[in-house]
Amino acid sequence: MNKIIKFLTIPVLLLIMAGCTQDILEDINVNKNNPTDVPSKLLITDAMTKTAFSIVGSDLAFYASVYVEHNVGIYNQMYNAEIRSGEPSLATTYNNSWGSIYETLYNLKIIINKTSPGGDEEANVHTLGVAQILTAYNLAILTDLFGDVPYEEALQPGVIFQPKLDSQESLYAEIFRLLDEGIANLEKETLAAGLGGQDFIYKGNIANWKKFAWGLKARYTARLALRNSAWDQVIEYANKSFTSASEEAKFVYDGSTTNSPFLTFFKDRDYFGASTSLHEKLIARNDMRDATFFIPYPDLEEINFAANGAPEQVQGFYGISGIMSPTAPTYLLSYHEILFLKAEAQVRNNNLDEAKATLEDAVEAAFEKVEVGMTLDSTYRVTIQNQFDAAPLKEVMTQKYLAFFESEAVEAYNDIRRLKAMGDNVITLANPLKFPLRYTYGADDVTTNLKVAAAYGTGAYIYTENVWWAGGTR
Amino acid sequence: MRKFTLFLALMFFIGMQVSQAQTRTISGTVTNAEDGSTIPGVSVVVKGTTFGTTTDLQGMYSLNVPQDAQTLKFSFIGMQPVERDIAGQTVINVRMEPTATAIEGVVVTALGITKERKALGYAVQEVSSEDLTRSGSSSLSSALQGKLSGVEIKPSSGMPGASSQIIIRGARSFSGNNTPLYVIDGMPVSSEADFSTGNSVTGSDIANRAVDIDPNDIESINILKGQAAAALYGIRASNGVVIITTKSGKGNKIGKPAISFSNFTSFETVSRTPDYQTKYAQGSYGNNVPNTSFSWGPEISKLPDDPVYGGNSQGHPGLYFVPQRERAGLDPWVKPQTYDNFGDFFDLGYTTTTSLNISQATEKGNIAFGIGNSTQEGIVPSTGMDRWNAKAAGQTKLNDMWSMGFSANYARTSVDKLPAANDASIAGVYAAPPNYDLAGIPTNLPTDIYSQIYYRSLTFDNPYWGAAHNKFNETTDRFFGNGFVEYTPYIADNMTLKTRYQIGTDAYTSHYQDIFEYGHRGSTGEINNYGISSQTINSLLTVNYTWKINNDFNFTALVGNEFNHRNRKLYDEYGTGFNFGGWAHMSNAKIQQADESQYEDRTVGFFGNLSLDYKGMLYFNATGRQDYVSTMPRDNNYFFYPSVSLGFVITELESLRDMPVLSFAKVRVSYAEVGQAGDYFQNFFASPNYEGGFWGATPIQYPIGGVSSYLSNNVQFDPNLKPQNTQSYELGTELKFFNNRLGVDYSYSHQLVTDQIFQVPIAASTGAAALVMNGGEIQTNAHEIVLYATPVATQDFNWDFTVNFSKIDNMVNELAPGVESIFLGGFVTPQVRAGIGSTFPVIYGSSFKRDDKGNILVYDAPGEWYHGMPQDGPPAVIGEVSPDFILGFSNRFTYKGIALTATLDWKQGGQMYSGSNGLLDLYGVSATSGDREETFVFDGYKEDGTPNDIVRGGPNDPEAYQDLITNVLTNIDEYYIHDNSFLKLREVTLSYALPKSFMKEVGLTISVYARNILLWTELPNFDPESSQGNNNMGGSFERFSMPQTTSYGFGINLNF
Repeated sequence: MNKIIKFLTIPVLLLIMAGCTQDILEDINVNKNNPTDVPSKLLITDAMTKTAFSIVGSDLAFYASVYVEHNVGIYNQMYNAEIRSGEPSLATTYNNSWGSIYETLYNLKIIINKTSPGGDEEANVHTLGVAQILTAYNLAILTDLFGDVPYEEALQPGVIFQPKLDSQESLYAEIFRLLDEGIANLEKETLAAGLGGQDFIYKGNIANWKKFAWGLKARYTARLALRNSAWDQVIEYANKSFTSASEEAKFVYDGSTTNSPFLTFFKDRDYFGASTSLHEKLIARNDMRDATFFIPYPDLEEINFAANGAPEQVQGFYGISGIMSPTAPTYLLSYHEILFLKAEAQVRNNNLDEAKATLEDAVEAAFEKVEVGMTLDSTYRVTIQNQFDAAPLKEVMTQKYLAFFESEAVEAYNDIRRLKAMGDNVITLANPLKFPLRYTYGADDVTTNLKVAAAYGTGAYIYTENVWWAGGTR
Repeated sequence: MRKFTLFLALMFFIGMQVSQAQTRTISGTVTNAEDGSTIPGVSVVVKGTTFGTTTDLQGMYSLNVPQDAQTLKFSFIGMQPVERDIAGQTVINVRMEPTATAIEGVVVTALGITKERKALGYAVQEVSSEDLTRSGSSSLSSALQGKLSGVEIKPSSGMPGASSQIIIRGARSFSGNNTPLYVIDGMPVSSEADFSTGNSVTGSDIANRAVDIDPNDIESINILKGQAAAALYGIRASNGVVIITTKSGKGNKIGKPAISFSNFTSFETVSRTPDYQTKYAQGSYGNNVPNTSFSWGPEISKLPDDPVYGGNSQGHPGLYFVPQRERAGLDPWVKPQTYDNFGDFFDLGYTTTTSLNISQATEKGNIAFGIGNSTQEGIVPSTGMDRWNAKAAGQTKLNDMWSMGFSANYARTSVDKLPAANDASIAGVYAAPPNYDLAGIPTNLPTDIYSQIYYRSLTFDNPYWGAAHNKFNETTDRFFGNGFVEYTPYIADNMTLKTRYQIGTDAYTSHYQDIFEYGHRGSTGEINNYGISSQTINSLLTVNYTWKINNDFNFTALVGNEFNHRNRKLYDEYGTGFNFGGWAHMSNAKIQQADESQYEDRTVGFFGNLSLDYKGMLYFNATGRQDYVSTMPRDNNYFFYPSVSLGFVITELESLRDMPVLSFAKVRVSYAEVGQAGDYFQNFFASPNYEGGFWGATPIQYPIGGVSSYLSNNVQFDPNLKPQNTQSYELGTELKFFNNRLGVDYSYSHQLVTDQIFQVPIAASTGAAALVMNGGEIQTNAHEIVLYATPVATQDFNWDFTVNFSKIDNMVNELAPGVESIFLGGFVTPQVRAGIGSTFPVIYGSSFKRDDKGNILVYDAPGEWYHGMPQDGPPAVIGEVSPDFILGFSNRFTYKGIALTATLDWKQGGQMYSGSNGLLDLYGVSATSGDREETFVFDGYKEDGTPNDIVRGGPNDPEAYQDLITNVLTNIDEYYIHDNSFLKLREVTLSYALPKSFMKEVGLTISVYARNILLWTELPNFDPESSQGNNNMGGSFERFSMPQTTSYGFGINLNF
């Protein structure tokens, strides 16, 4: 019996030990379900999708459309934003978008590291250029809406837990640097394969990416007008940008695997009502887009317009946007915006004849944008000319405001804040309640990053502190 | 080995010599005084010597004793020892009495080691099979409620197959697993749910695998509460262990098979109905608006006067126009009246549980078969559960040294359920306007089944339509069982060596279907088929050595090895947008997406246990276990856990024996360290996810037009991850008085968990959302008292009661640098979180603005609509979920064959977010929102410190009251927080056992019972045990959650 026991002990023990050596255990734990490395062209696609859908196209745009009065918030969170109760000053409001922006910036950082000299894909200079442009774009949205934000110390998870806030001024310097380097990289020659179908915005057309970058330079130069007036440069950059709507930077939805944000928001939530003040601006100048922009709520006969700042909190009553569709695109930078920038620059330079012509082209492009699908008729042209002669800047900026309905609300919000700061109160808003000058930091930083928490304070600062390019200190 | 044999031979030889010299033979039979059955294995020893033998299988013994032997001592576990003077007799028959209460019996502890209860140095609590099944509960967790101390059981609802959180002595992990390990017939079995409900704000509940266990098959349940008790199980037992022994036939009378049959049938109703207002109709600001979710409209009786919908001005006097009726093809002009929308919806649910168990004990072993079924139809239409259990178990002695056994269990469970919270299927049942005929008006157009007709927008489906067309089902097939072999060679009279090897498996497949039919939310629906196939192999080798050193010292040692390996494969198929209704199948979906994942993990452990007891008075125990796991990074995947415990039975001291009042007194102390492993992976990339936020169905789904993309996963892993460690100590005492008529068992335990592994949320600006790393510290101080007494014990009438009291203080001491709180579940706001300096968990959301003294501040802004209404304040901790204490009180009265038992469960303290309460106010259907005519002054303070005196409302200010409720109060999360202390009558049972003389050989008991009667609660309108989530946020958060039920039933139990 002893022999049996002795005989079995050692092999049994060996068998047991064999089951738990470090190598075996590590082998068992190999992740079969996810890769640890992915080529850059499979990463950059989602950077574009997220930038368009989650960042500039949805939450940030929804709230912006309430503040600029493109829509009236008539239920739940949008209603609260309309009556300035809760939502505009809570840290949770824009948190999902705040997270999406940083997620995208992190994604782009990985791509930039891979495609920069020394990375494992250093031949892909065009991908590098595109990634730099998208980084600049997202960084601009981030700082335009949130002010001073973490960037230099950010994007290092597990290394820096409490990234400090960088000044908007320094961030804008970085934005211009990224755009310049991006353009330079796009101009280099390369034998590496292009992005092709992985590029949802331009299908790999590098010439259009360059025009996009120049257009962004025009936009941001105009943005900094209060701090550094450079309207000649705006015109120069705009001329290097889009020459037709087919070149503009937009994300097109297919209506099945991708869905346009505003219509999806209506179907899932139904929080908007037709804006009285927008309607009045349109009918004041007999703008035929009024019939396209607003339709009655389904199954109702008449369009009920919601009072800005004091609607009833009820669904299924107020009119809704008429230009929503499953495929309505999200514009990152539209052709008509370039023309409007040029027109404003020309007005600022007192070049009124050229400005008037540019303005007509801009409004024509706005009429023809795919979700509106109208043509600019001669009667309205005359109206525009007359309005322009009476008040040039007002007409340019008002037409730009009308052209931005509905998906370019974020840029409209930026414009209104800049105009107010420059003393050009040319767009009147009907909501009598206090106007939010910026967006609150995301709760995911307010609750974990002491520096951001200090900057957030109680959230009340959004009504009193302008961002730097609007004359503020942070 | 050889030395022993030599030694024995020598002793035998000497013994022989001596006995041959002057011996005589004494023989006899030992029987059980209670029922006359013979007792094999009784130790018969000449007192003061080691001469002895044991009774054989017929209970007979024969012993050669020396002439000068004076007394024989008879002893057997579970029986009171007997001493008999020999006094010249040659035949001594003995009747032995069983020890007085079950408390002095044996207890099954870790790894199947049975010990006398008095030998334990830590707290263990047992629930008998009778206590578990007397009120016919088909769910194990609800059968345990009110009967345990130190254990908090939180059911999520009364729906069939509802998940239930069982937490022993507080939580050890913020976001990880806090469920105990279940050991069924020696085989460790997982009970954590495979799929978490995540944020728990959408979708349906998901049961954990404890739902497969049939309570009727359980012989006994022992809860090992503290780390010292569970230390031998290593990593998986840091949350405590529930040891379940199923019926096996052991302990039956030898020979005849024992058959037991039972059936329990009960009827369920909703446990509480909210108070509704019945005066005001659908609408807003006094106007009838027929498609609003609000009921702030005109008085119902005045509806015919409505300018738009009233019939008085349109040729239909006394009637009003209901557009939904017109859409349904009915006459739209009706007389205004109120409807009981809540009561009309729920059906009378029923549950019927049937079990049959056949067992037999033979001379060599025992065998048992069981089969059971539980069929349930819920109170909510199209919900129900169907469960089948079958089992076979047995063991047999092959010869003197070898024995073997097996246990095989099969369970098939199918649950039909409905979703809650943001997908709430019964939102309309709770919140429909009182004048809208929810049950009467058809749910869809006459021409199109999939176009819903509803009183409001389709953010929620019409409940009747949803119950008829949406389908949520989970079906599980499970087999678990083990086989074992034992080798117990004879070594010496005072030593035993038992080697046992057991190999077991737990294999199950679960399929889930979550289907929203075409027409859901007025859109095209979606289908989610997902499931898991899981196989676990568990191999357990133990070598158990006991050595009776001498009369005073007993020594046991155990060494062993455990090997546990689990393979899991999960699949997930998601289809969005059906092409047409009536075919809810993946092939009908416009976009189809499939994903699969595979996981493997292995734990190998080596353990040892030493115990020493001195004179049955002092018991010392030490264990150590070394575990190796595959789920942690290299070089940080092994750890050692020690434990020590000491028990001192004071009443065994000579001077304190046989005291009149104090019949038993013991103190215990123990210390243990147990760890828990995390799940470590190298940082990876994943498919981007666009769910959540404002979106209902997923708005963006890859591949997009055949194009895929990936993103760095937003949860990253710290490569230096190490296991977390729980240090705990426990002190306790057991006292029994008046010959065990009164007893108290008190335990105090302190646990400190450091280096918690959890997803530490990091600033979003780092680019990731969370980092799995060590951090944080959570501690628990638990006081447990079990008090039991038999105040009356006469021939015919008995009264005994048990009180179980628990006070568990579970505090979060630290999280991670810069992290004040972490998210566990909930919405964007409010959320369930773990916060520093608070009990676990807390509810976090927007609060009322308060001054320094804590008074709620109101606006002083004459002319503004919010003048005199409370201001909104910053986000903060607004509620603490943990109760102050929990008390269970069980009473039992027996008179001859009649038994009346009642168990009360009292939870005091603790809060929850009651979304439904706030929403009932928001929608204007609650009784509290029905007082709209009077003026009001909100109970608060003005900014200058004076009490609020601003009068609002009344006939001159008609919109103010609705503004207060719908635009101010219901936007502040703190408004939704309520205290949810409650007192429930868990069960009351009246049973009658027909006397044995009536039908010989047949035992028949009939009973009637009621379960889960809510007697009192601080929570308005709803049962506090209805909430969202099958994970750590369970019990804290409710929003249109499925309701609780009260059951009334009868049962029959037949034994022969």
